[in-house]
Amino acid sequence: MANQHDNHETNEDVIILGDQEVLKSDLLTLNMGPQHPATHGVLRVEIKTDSEIVAEAIPHLGYLHRCMEKHCEHLDYRGVIPFVDRMDYLASMSMEWGYALTIEKMLGTEVPRRAQYIRTMIAELQRIASHLMFYGTYAIDLGAFSPFLYAFQDREEILRLFEELSGARLLYNYVWIGGVWNDISDEQLKRVENFCYKMEENMKKYDDLVGQNHIFVGRTANVGVISKDLAYDFGLTGPVLRGSGIKWDLRKDRPYGIYNEFDFDVPVGQGLKGQLGDCWDRYYVRVQEIFESIKIIRQCLDGIEAGPVMGKVSKIIKVPAGEIYMRTECPRGELGYHLISDGGKTPYRLKVKSPCFTNVSILPELAPGQMVADLVATIGSIDIVLGEVDR
Amino acid sequence: MSQTLELKKVEEPELTFTQWWKNVYLGIKTTFIGLKITMKYVWAVKPVTIEYPEVREELPANSRSRLFNDAENCISCLQCSVACPVDCIYITAVKRDADAPKIKTKDGTAIKLDLKQYTIDTALCCYCGLCTTVCPTECLTHTTDYEYAQYTLAAMKYDYLAPDIRAWRHRIVKD
Repeated sequence: MANQHDNHETNEDVIILGDQEVLKSDLLTLNMGPQHPATHGVLRVEIKTDSEIVAEAIPHLGYLHRCMEKHCEHLDYRGVIPFVDRMDYLASMSMEWGYALTIEKMLGTEVPRRAQYIRTMIAELQRIASHLMFYGTYAIDLGAFSPFLYAFQDREEILRLFEELSGARLLYNYVWIGGVWNDISDEQLKRVENFCYKMEENMKKYDDLVGQNHIFVGRTANVGVISKDLAYDFGLTGPVLRGSGIKWDLRKDRPYGIYNEFDFDVPVGQGLKGQLGDCWDRYYVRVQEIFESIKIIRQCLDGIEAGPVMGKVSKIIKVPAGEIYMRTECPRGELGYHLISDGGKTPYRLKVKSPCFTNVSILPELAPGQMVADLVATIGSIDIVLGEVDR
Repeated sequence: MSQTLELKKVEEPELTFTQWWKNVYLGIKTTFIGLKITMKYVWAVKPVTIEYPEVREELPANSRSRLFNDAENCISCLQCSVACPVDCIYITAVKRDADAPKIKTKDGTAIKLDLKQYTIDTALCCYCGLCTTVCPTECLTHTTDYEYAQYTLAAMKYDYLAPDIRAWRHRIVKD
């Protein structure tokens, strides 16, 4: 009887690896991520593995927590912008725009048309820069180094333009409440136009280099599949949601700024290389978004009007008492600002709904049953910035 | 504990002999397409990196780097230290004697306060540029200097009334 019982136990303690049955051993706890908490902007995932298969993955957050929300309660409304920059440092312009829109809506400020065009153009350039960063780092995650350098070469041109406009390369403080800081010159607009042509050509080349490569497809297709229901359940946003085939983009569905005047498509994953919602689909959505952004920038360049770039805002901003929730479409998803004001000089409460935080929450759901190498591909395809997750 | 771990796998069609050969063909073909793109960079593309210590990059004119306060034109209005989100500007000023000679800034604003201390903790500064935008006499500006590493944290505190910092005023402020 006891013998039978033993046999029964052994049969359950096996792993099915392909078509083989392997004996299950004790779980091995591994630490994926930084070796030191002071390493900035990295995700630490504690994984429990059996041989090559991940049984459990727990993302550990909080290494980059800077009390940003609490800090904002002691700053005047203009002083919050440098801190908002530091959330998603790869898409600072988009972060600022969301915050500026929140305050402008509360104040009822009219933003000049030229500033609206500049903001849209800048946000789309930032989206290209951010997706180029994804393209480069994702290729590194999967073992290709040169795409990273090509992506940075193009990203550098965007950063150079931003540096000339705002004075900084990463943390711009350029989009202000009521408009933008500096005006854009005709020479710079010409450069943006040239950049669009170059970028369109280059991106097709880069897609051939990485996205169509059979080895890359083998590593990403059918890996980390997020089904439509799962995407809805976890409240995913941005390219991760659109990769699962759901057509939802705030720029199209709930237009803010002047997005309702532009003509562009919302690319969604189509399951071209594998099942719908796999890593390759998320890569595909981001690459297609670069082309759509170029389309929007071209329309901006055609329509840009002369005029002031700063609206009428009082010297000391006092937001009327009340509450507002404003959301914008950032390169990584839906960013929301919930502002509560008591009529004073500082926000009473500023809560940020971060897209990366929601997107990283799906990791413990996706990881079990994956190979360790596939987990790397999955984390890379979600494309999170820890500055925004921890705030 | 009895728990079965299963490898999560998406159902794929069975690998046939033709499919296997097709995979090999596609693998070689797409790799060659990639190599064609990368090989161009070996000869046809000029290097874009700047070899730093030999070649120094010129930053754009409105670049936000090391702060400089031209203390002679400062009226001690404290607006910069109020606007600073990280509170890194320390100003001490006392009221000017009534019988002291009247002085003015370059743009004609009367100086009513004697500046005793104007210190910026550069290590704390976040280079947001908010202090320069509120300055009424435009004496506080960002310069394009970017090489100012120090050995100690205390050396990052710039006292703009000290003689050694007054020395590099001549390099920055064109009278």
